[in-house]
Amino acid sequence: MSGKPVPEITPLNRVFFEGTAAGELRLCRCMKCGELFRYVHPLCPECWSDSFDYVVSSGKGKIESYTVMHMPPYEAWAADVPYVIALVRLEEGVRMMANVDMDANKVAIDMPVDVWFEQRDDVFIPQFRPAG
Amino acid sequence: MRPGRYTDQGPYDLFRSLLKDAITRWNISPKMVDGLLTSPSGQSQGQTDAYVHDKLISEFALKPRFAETMCLGGASFGVMVNRAMSAVREGRANAVLCIGSGKFLKPSEGSAEMLAKTIAEADFEVPYGPFIPGLYALIARRFMHERNITREDIARVAVSARKWALLNPDARMYGKGEITVEDVIASRPIADPFNYLDCSIPSDGGGVVLVTRADIGHQLSDQPAYVKGYGEYHACGTISGADVLNETGAVQSGAEAFAQANLTPADIDVAQLYDAFSATPLILLENLGFCAPGTSGDFFNSGACDPGGRFPVNTYGGLLSYGHTGDSSGMSVLVEGARQAMGQAGARQITGAENVLVHCYGGMMYDHTTLILGRQP
Ligand SMILES: [Zn+2]
Repeated sequence: MSGKPVPEITPLNRVFFEGTAAGELRLCRCMKCGELFRYVHPLCPECWSDSFDYVVSSGKGKIESYTVMHMPPYEAWAADVPYVIALVRLEEGVRMMANVDMDANKVAIDMPVDVWFEQRDDVFIPQFRPAG
Repeated sequence: MRPGRYTDQGPYDLFRSLLKDAITRWNISPKMVDGLLTSPSGQSQGQTDAYVHDKLISEFALKPRFAETMCLGGASFGVMVNRAMSAVREGRANAVLCIGSGKFLKPSEGSAEMLAKTIAEADFEVPYGPFIPGLYALIARRFMHERNITREDIARVAVSARKWALLNPDARMYGKGEITVEDVIASRPIADPFNYLDCSIPSDGGGVVLVTRADIGHQLSDQPAYVKGYGEYHACGTISGADVLNETGAVQSGAEAFAQANLTPADIDVAQLYDAFSATPLILLENLGFCAPGTSGDFFNSGACDPGGRFPVNTYGGLLSYGHTGDSSGMSVLVEGARQAMGQAGARQITGAENVLVHCYGGMMYDHTTLILGRQP
């Protein structure tokens, strides 16, 4: 037990975390306008439609920005420093936050990365590592 | 109020000290103050008190026609000035007391975890171990990448803030000596690209401003500050949701303030730019139109923003060297802007400061307010 935060499953994110448990990175797709978006919006952010399904992302993306965390914000992260937090722009255009499991000295903007899923308790969270 | 470590004082003790301080400076009475704006205090201790105004109305024995507790982080105080002005213009109040106090626990004392959980998405950000410096770092890294700003460039902002703090006896770093770019980069790493000296100093403190009619302002002060322009913009309230990291809401709030004041960046003599971290004044200089994209680093390196420079920035030492007083951080930015316009900035007064720009933002650069203050209406 690392003590790292585990996402709480909510009506808004349930489909997403059912996907990660099945090895899928799901993106919301608006059935009215086609917009792709993260599971943080109760309505389509473009048109406020409430009818959407999902697409499965390729899981490939690029690092749009990053930081290397040297100071653990709390005890659960003490063993991980230095660790990378990145904003990853997926091929589908949606951007998300994750850690990148790599040598923190080598992280760079535009680096291609692939998704993987880390299990915390009974939840799988998307993470990335350098593509290859 | 001088920022410091007031471990034996709670937020309301600070409010009481602040009011006493205001009364000694201005000849104000409970009958005269008919408006009150304030903000929650003590968020870094996990206290979000939504009814501060009620407690202060009771304690201070006010009978305001206009009062509210506002919560927009560092932007609260820019917003307060605007809301107070509207009330004065509408005749709903003659004199609005705007008061903020803040306690800021050290990150190592538990505030890092609490603030991360307050400010970040619970299910899609918090699991990755961010905290405030790391979230700002994501904005800074992208800005540096797109605008060719170097690590040394952002460190230079902290060097400038320290120079100013040495002129301000109230600053936490007063008397602590100059620092160099090398010192900043050699200090303890926190969240790349930020080291310890790139981060503001957690402090306790607060401040007060009085927003009033021009005639009352002239009774209380030989040289009041006039509000000439105001702009506000609320960008996406999470880092993951903010699609463009380089262009913050300062682009919109700045343009609105300049248009309202009928001024341009060239008309501004001095600027106070909220600097939770060393990179943010560079981002704001570019977003507000003072520097073309990619030139803010060279601008700071030239010494333009230092004491004696042609465009002084954060003349009181900024949050970086004066101190970041938690919930009331934005108040210090505003107070220094007002003092420069009023000619009350002591050893650091900019001679002939006609127009002063004050930019405050809240959250991780989510809520933005730009104020232009001046010596003349
Ligand atoms: Zn839609």
